Amino acid sequence: MKQGAIAILPLAFGAAVYGFAFGLLAAQAGFPWWGIAMMSGAVHAGSSQIVAVEQFSSGSALLGAALAGAALNLRYIGIVASLAPVLQSLPLRLRLLAIHVTGDENWALTMAERAKNPAVGAAFLLGSGLVMIGVWTTSTALGAVLGASLPDLERFGLGFAFTAAFIAMARGLWEGRANLLPWALSFLVAGILVTADMPKAYAIVCGTLCGLLLAQLARRRGSAEV
Amino acid sequence: MSESHWGLIALLAAAAFAVRLTGLIAGNAIRTSRLAPLLDDLPGLIVVSLVAASLAGQPPATWLAGAAALGVAWKTGNVVATMLIGVAIFAGLSLAGL
Repeated sequence: MKQGAIAILPLAFGAAVYGFAFGLLAAQAGFPWWGIAMMSGAVHAGSSQIVAVEQFSSGSALLGAALAGAALNLRYIGIVASLAPVLQSLPLRLRLLAIHVTGDENWALTMAERAKNPAVGAAFLLGSGLVMIGVWTTSTALGAVLGASLPDLERFGLGFAFTAAFIAMARGLWEGRANLLPWALSFLVAGILVTADMPKAYAIVCGTLCGLLLAQLARRRGSAEV
Repeated sequence: MSESHWGLIALLAAAAFAVRLTGLIAGNAIRTSRLAPLLDDLPGLIVVSLVAASLAGQPPATWLAGAAALGVAWKTGNVVATMLIGVAIFAGLSLAGL
């Protein structure tokens, strides 16, 4: 466990910077630092939290904000599934703890170390995960403390920080040219609908669905041609 | 903290854990099913729609800053750098009266 906890430290530092920035934004949405700490500890998913808080602060319905955030986290279905051989030695209680403390960073590190040394397993995952969730919770809370002590940051364009974060997330999710047309369609549909005064949450759902449909059609055509 | 702040935390925590639990219980079945490509596509499409929704109806300076942020994201692949530089450019353009 100690081995994992130490090995994750450089990656934890990167998460801390991101966490601090998120805490700063969340404080502007009216969350106290302890509320943010609670959210980070209970949710433990950076991009989900940033999307949900942005939707929440722009007036979307609660359920919609939470679902938008959670949908961004669907990759964890695959991530957790890939951990099956690591987790099988653990009792259920620890298994549930392990999947909660698993994030992108400690998952990737555990898998990479395990490929080199099969003895690396559940203890490494848990050790590195506990450090990650601790660092995430602390850094977001610290960001929120600073955010609450600053005046209205919206005037200085802090709202744009959300947009910039989404743009960076999109970069991370880009998988190549097959994404281009569905993404362009989603962008256009969501943009046009918001311009036409549709509530943002609905526009985002419509944009996403149109993109999904196009991606599915393209896949069908692709497999028909092969 | 209002009731809705509490509500968001509770709902998001429940939803995030449900996703992880789904991975634990049915992850392999889902990964090999016809749903898998849809689940892969979903996050990117949501994020792109979010970008569009936050840019729609905004002045040209916001779009310019968005384009600059895209450039930074493309080059660095780093979320925090994109946020910092994006906000700096946005603030600069606003100060310049654009």
